[in-house]
Amino acid sequence: MTDFLRRLFRTPQGLLGCLIVGLILLAVVAGSWVTPYGPNDMQALARYKAPSAAHWLGTDQYGRDILSRLLDGARSTVVMAVLATFIGTLGGAILGTGSAYLGGRADEFIMRTVDAVMAIPSLLLALLVVSLLGSNSANALLAIAIAFVPSMARISRSVALTVRKQDYVSAAVARGEGAAYIVLREMLPNVIAPIVVEMTIRVSFAVMLFATLSFLGLGAQPPASDWGLMVSEARQFLHRSYWILLWPSAAIALTAIGFNLLGDGLRDALNPRT
Amino acid sequence: MSISRRAFLRSSAAVAALSLALPEFAFAQTKAEAGGTLRVAVDQAISVIHPLLTRVNPEYLAVELLYSGLTRLGVNMQPEPDLATSWESNDDLTEWTFTLREGVKFHDGSPCTAADAVASFEAILNPEMASPARNNVGPIDKIEAVDDTTVRFTLSTPYADLPVALSYNNARIIPAAVISSDFQSLRSKAVGTGPFKLVSYEPDRLLVVERNPDFYDPERPYLDRIELHVFPDLGAQISSLISGDIDMVSTVAPNDFMRLEGQDGIDTLRAASGQFCNVNFGTDIAPFNDVRVRKALALTIDRDAMVDFMTEGFGTKGNDTPLNESYPFFKALPQREKNIEEAKKLLAEAGFPDGFTAELVASDRPAIRTQLAVALKEMAKEAGITINVNTMPHATYLDQVWTKGAFYVGFYNMQPTPDGILKLLFTSDAAWNETRWNNKTFDDLVAKARAVADPAERTELYTQAQQLMHDEVPSLIPAFFDVLGAKRSWVQDYQIHPRASVFRLDYAWLNTEAPTRKG
Amino acid sequence: MSASYILKRIALIFYTLVVVSLLVFAITQILPADAAVMMLGENATADALEALRQQMGLNDPIWLQYLHWAGGVLQGDFGTSLRTGQPVGPALFSALGTSLTLAAFALVFMLLLAIPMGIIAAVRRGKFADLSVSFISYIGVSLPEFVTATLAVVLVADWWKLLPPAGYVPLTQDFWGGLERLILPVIVVSVMMIAHVSRMVRSELVDVMHTDYIRAARLKGLTPRRVLFRHGLRNALLPTITIVALDVGYLLGGVIVVEEIFSIPGIGRSLMSAIQARDLPVIQAGVMIMATTYAVVNFIADVTYAWLDKRIQYD
Repeated sequence: MTDFLRRLFRTPQGLLGCLIVGLILLAVVAGSWVTPYGPNDMQALARYKAPSAAHWLGTDQYGRDILSRLLDGARSTVVMAVLATFIGTLGGAILGTGSAYLGGRADEFIMRTVDAVMAIPSLLLALLVVSLLGSNSANALLAIAIAFVPSMARISRSVALTVRKQDYVSAAVARGEGAAYIVLREMLPNVIAPIVVEMTIRVSFAVMLFATLSFLGLGAQPPASDWGLMVSEARQFLHRSYWILLWPSAAIALTAIGFNLLGDGLRDALNPRT
Repeated sequence: MSISRRAFLRSSAAVAALSLALPEFAFAQTKAEAGGTLRVAVDQAISVIHPLLTRVNPEYLAVELLYSGLTRLGVNMQPEPDLATSWESNDDLTEWTFTLREGVKFHDGSPCTAADAVASFEAILNPEMASPARNNVGPIDKIEAVDDTTVRFTLSTPYADLPVALSYNNARIIPAAVISSDFQSLRSKAVGTGPFKLVSYEPDRLLVVERNPDFYDPERPYLDRIELHVFPDLGAQISSLISGDIDMVSTVAPNDFMRLEGQDGIDTLRAASGQFCNVNFGTDIAPFNDVRVRKALALTIDRDAMVDFMTEGFGTKGNDTPLNESYPFFKALPQREKNIEEAKKLLAEAGFPDGFTAELVASDRPAIRTQLAVALKEMAKEAGITINVNTMPHATYLDQVWTKGAFYVGFYNMQPTPDGILKLLFTSDAAWNETRWNNKTFDDLVAKARAVADPAERTELYTQAQQLMHDEVPSLIPAFFDVLGAKRSWVQDYQIHPRASVFRLDYAWLNTEAPTRKG
Repeated sequence: MSASYILKRIALIFYTLVVVSLLVFAITQILPADAAVMMLGENATADALEALRQQMGLNDPIWLQYLHWAGGVLQGDFGTSLRTGQPVGPALFSALGTSLTLAAFALVFMLLLAIPMGIIAAVRRGKFADLSVSFISYIGVSLPEFVTATLAVVLVADWWKLLPPAGYVPLTQDFWGGLERLILPVIVVSVMMIAHVSRMVRSELVDVMHTDYIRAARLKGLTPRRVLFRHGLRNALLPTITIVALDVGYLLGGVIVVEEIFSIPGIGRSLMSAIQARDLPVIQAGVMIMATTYAVVNFIADVTYAWLDKRIQYD
């Protein structure tokens, strides 16, 4: 494990990624304790303020403190993205690994169906699911998770197929273990490493998909402090005060870059080939 | 002396009063030049061009170009001749006679006569046709063609505002032949008597019209061609106006208005209006069936801050009634202001000493609904009331909440008359009875007012009705919005209309600075 | 590549469409909206609504409604829009044309940038050029399109006044004017794909250059340039075809956002307004058309791949 960490920190991506993601996680955990103001406190007399000593990042159209909203929003934005990715990955991994284990006709059927669902662009699939369930953050989370399932299933399956040919799986089959046991205990753990890499990178996709859903009016709803919603609301005030747009955009960009770097770092650390 | 003449004299006093409130009222003096293409940006798709079935402002604009009504609405909210040149009523306001223009032709060349007017109004009143105008054209009982150019309306109750009511956006005259053969065909083609003819129509992108050479007024329209460009993104239409791609933006948001002010070659347009965003109570659902609870909420609102939050200062304070200075027959009541003490006291009396929790539904279009909900949430907090804002797509809102819900945000254009807005929303027989307030005394006051011709008496009756609403608070009306628009300076004689759904582009023209565009 | 492979792939397209049609039909059935109410509006009477439901077959069992709808689709009849009351098919196909124009330009633009970027990064691995390319690609995947689009409009159109901010003119009507308006949308929608594809090209090329086959080519004494272009690139670019085809799904999604901001009347816009207005027939048709586009593009990519693979693998 320490060896792995050393390898991770040796690559610039891994080091930078860990730093950024660490910072973001800190904001997620401690953010709402250190907010200087309530994230929804309105001040009629302090609207559209530029950054100052009182409001480090300025205030928005209701006179709400942007720093406080960013810190508060870190929790929902990042946790939602991670959770959506995790659920989607888990679903995809189970489906993909299961399909690889079953093989034959069942595998063919599952994968062709997965391919078919992939023909619907993931943003569109998410849009459909949200409009079906109603627009709020929880449903957007589910929608993104669902939208991630098909591609994750595909990836997991190809990894699992490689694993399936390994000796320890054949050994388990020879021992007469049950299907669930083999999939969960023998195959999944070995499929996990490459999937974790893919998952890390996908978190940044999830952040952006969330933001886009909010932009289209189908994600988080006001007065939530999700970063994507903050940006999409700020668009109309852009010419009056660009701070409102700038900070949450920067936060989204930083998160996306952080998780991408971390994912690349992880990949290199796990697979020292290149 | 006929009623219409008296009404006219009376209304000129109202015009004088209104003109003070309308900064853009002065007419340009230069002579109009003919020709040119005007490009207008609209912020919603033009989904419907059937003149009897339109529902939103861009659709009203399209239909106004293509069709005429019997009367049309001036910027001063007074009825003007359109297909009807004059009108009069009997003394008890139950029978109105309209004289139509002679020799008017539909776009297909067929003559437009009293028979077409009768058929059109019968279609409007027919529930099967589901025209939104049905509830807005007044208490018409019977309509008949006296001769080819005379139409007589017999009303079920006296109604002083009929000429204004007939100018309603959906009350357009269409050929009787189309109504009897294929009513729905007007969803994709246009057969009207309007100043322009339809050239092409793509609901989500572009509608093009060209000058109707057979329009009843040989002078108008001045423009050869008008294009309505659909811009779903508000920022994009403003950028396009600045770049000169677009000549005029029909509706502008306050922040964009501020951005455009002072820009070279661009005129910002503003008219005080009775347009408002409100919070409706289902007055038959607990806890909002208790007047004290409704009043307590009304007392939590800082109305000056609300005007700022919702309109950036481009609006006026509301007093929990749908009427304001922009309406005729209006007298102001003492303004309700924020009073948390009083609000808490009322809540305690109503059995909520620690406040209560409620879900406030706001549809996502236009965004101002959510803005109101979010601001109210914060203001009500002070009195211990917890409001959870639930935003939903407009279609779902219409299906599940509208006119049924307990606590939700509404949004309305100004109507031409007090009667129009009260009968639309707040009487027991209102077309959209959003609050189910169903107050008999209120109904009687409104009914009485519509049957009276004397302005002083009408003002008195509407003031009593207002007072009743103000006391019982079936709906929170914290702020009114000014109607905002913008145009390039080369567009002449376009006045923004307080009604927000009337445009009168047949009067507009382009001066020599306008770019020449190939058709 | 055999005929049976192609037949199998075509059968797969049909299977895809059946699955998608079932899915989208199920979704639109559960959507919280009454089609009859959507069509007649809030002023309709109960009787009128009931009559319309009968006429539209909304009271039929769901499987029957599905068969009716699917049967119509097979005959090219996508039904009538609840919002505009006009037939869905013609309007959507013209919108599809607009979107495909946008997507095609975006693909070409993306490939013109992404492939050279990937090659440079791979050849100069670890050097400044490589780092710059990775830096650009990290930035490229860091912002959602609606933010990139907003920034692009503010900078390029509002401040520098280089390009028109929005709007769409068909190329057939005014080629240069139309092209000018496509520049910003094309850039915005390709940014993320440039980042993705350039990285893929880089890693494929790095992999290929490590294979025995390339080592053998080097040992034969070919110049490094020749090794790279004759052998390395051809094998590295091959998998890129598949990646790009899969990215088309992403492209079609991005088109939804970009069309909204730049007021382009494409299929993304139609779908968005249909979703907002609960215009069920348009949602169904729009999703079907998008899925078909994706399936067909991937079919072409797979067949091309199989064909090229045979020809150049180890020449």
